[in-house]
Amino acid sequence: MTSGAQPALSRTGTMKAIEPIDPVFRQIRDLVYKVSGIFQLEEKLYLLVDGCGRRMKQLGVRTPREYWELLTAHSSRDAELRQLLNELTIGETCLFRSQPQLDALRKVIIPEIAAEKLKLVTKRLRIWSAGCSTGEEPYTLAMNMLEEQESRLQGWSVEILATDLNDRSIEAAKTGIYGDYALRATPELFKRKYFVPCDAKKLQVRPEVKKLITFTRLNLQDDSKMLFMKGMDLIFCCNVLIYFDGPSKSRVIDHFFSNLNFGGYFFLGTSESLMKLNDKFHVVHFPGAIGYWKPSLKSGKL
Amino acid sequence: MKTAATATIRDRVERIEHTPAIPAVFLPLLKILNAPPETTNLEEVIKLVSYDNTIAAQCLRMASSPLFGLSKVPESIRVAVVSLGLRRVQTILLTCCLGQAFPTRNWAIDPIVYWRHSLGCAMVCRKFAEKFSHADGDKAYMAGLMHDIGILVNCLAFSTEFARALNRATSEQMPLDDAELALMGFTHCDTGRALAQKWHLGDDLIEVIAYHHNVERCKTAKPLVALVHLGDLLCRVRGMGHGYYERRRVDLVDDPAWKILLEEHKELESVDLVRFTFELDDAVTEIYELVSMIIGPGSALQSQGSRKSKY
Repeated sequence: MTSGAQPALSRTGTMKAIEPIDPVFRQIRDLVYKVSGIFQLEEKLYLLVDGCGRRMKQLGVRTPREYWELLTAHSSRDAELRQLLNELTIGETCLFRSQPQLDALRKVIIPEIAAEKLKLVTKRLRIWSAGCSTGEEPYTLAMNMLEEQESRLQGWSVEILATDLNDRSIEAAKTGIYGDYALRATPELFKRKYFVPCDAKKLQVRPEVKKLITFTRLNLQDDSKMLFMKGMDLIFCCNVLIYFDGPSKSRVIDHFFSNLNFGGYFFLGTSESLMKLNDKFHVVHFPGAIGYWKPSLKSGKL
Repeated sequence: MKTAATATIRDRVERIEHTPAIPAVFLPLLKILNAPPETTNLEEVIKLVSYDNTIAAQCLRMASSPLFGLSKVPESIRVAVVSLGLRRVQTILLTCCLGQAFPTRNWAIDPIVYWRHSLGCAMVCRKFAEKFSHADGDKAYMAGLMHDIGILVNCLAFSTEFARALNRATSEQMPLDDAELALMGFTHCDTGRALAQKWHLGDDLIEVIAYHHNVERCKTAKPLVALVHLGDLLCRVRGMGHGYYERRRVDLVDDPAWKILLEEHKELESVDLVRFTFELDDAVTEIYELVSMIIGPGSALQSQGSRKSKY
């Protein structure tokens, strides 16, 4: 440790000295952004350093520069980048992962959509959690929408479609059973209202939450199926597109755009970007959250 | 705005200048900063700063923050100027002077929140300007730093009325200038302009202060005012706003200011706004640290602690 070095907490919770970060890691940060759209903030660069470190250990690579060669060499780059992305997003999933995103949804977007649909006879809200993994996101959305149904969305029908490529994830999601780690950000009020104890350490979501959600397997690259996912008001797709190459990503985003109703919103993960891959969506900022908006017909922006 | 309000603002702004806290070097320094850069005399700046040890010391520490780029604290203002250039050092001096210029007791707004917003906006404006080939980053910084001086005027000269407006804005989660207009009949843009005119801040800065919420009304400095308008909005949605949740959606690219800026700087088209936002997030911690330094020990803030505002 150099003199004056400050201790910092790494993800594993151990104390570490801050050492000057090898500039190669910033190169890797930029490469990861260029390929996946995931941006690692400077203060979280240690996550990238840790992730690279774990990969380097597994591969027996000694220096960051050697690892950089692997990440850029034609023969190994795709597979290795995928492995690194796994390291970077591992353990990120939990219920109530992004409070600013939920605030944007409940304080700004729901009132906007409710006003827009005020005159419609059938008041229906359709949300799609694309790449729902083990269900944390759709359940979070469902609980928040149940809250809204007690106020602004009284009398509305809310449908949440949750899809994933992986059958095992879908099966796990359907059970709705979560431990402390997945529930670490869930407010007590929600735990009491929407969960029942499952065993000593786990909670299970109540049937009325599950009732809002339809879980199904879907490959986002299956163009024919994507064409049928119409009439969405909101689409959430967190840390899924990062694994797609440029053209596939573009195609999925184009699908999302046409799947959304006019005036609908699309959200990525909190440190993820569309990287200007689509110029039809408007980038919109909410306090602490970024969304992508499909202009409404009224706005005349299409 | 009614003529009666204009007269009231003028009268009250007149009284602010008698505030004892304004450092002696502040107004002369402002005068030098407003002069064309090529006429600025280094010796004159150094002489002025040497009158005030606190400001000189703060300036040197700030020069070594990641925001300004030096890896260690420079030994003297002269060394700082050699490393960073005279104009950059001037902007640092101005930041320190402004921090000391106003007594922070009994402000309606938390001074920490105010300075985070002002310094945040200064930084965003400079970062934006650095993306353009023909833009003056230091001028953009100054414009961002000073755009909300009307809020200081309101705290000092219209404290009761402004406190009510801020309360309304906070409880209704609405933009501050809308609440000011509804309750006071004028905004911090009007009071800021009065002070800026009094201080002879120069036409461009006066326009920034007066029109950053109403870009289309400005006459001569449109691109600069547009830049500050966008920087202000971006700060307000990324943790450096006025200290409360603003219930709003901001579409920067669709904002008239974006189009004004785009006409002047075509490079704006290629800016990845989302990445730019993430990079701004990276600087928030630095801004928070700088603010504790600028406000310095012995201010009313010490008793308030360093309240962290999420917005």
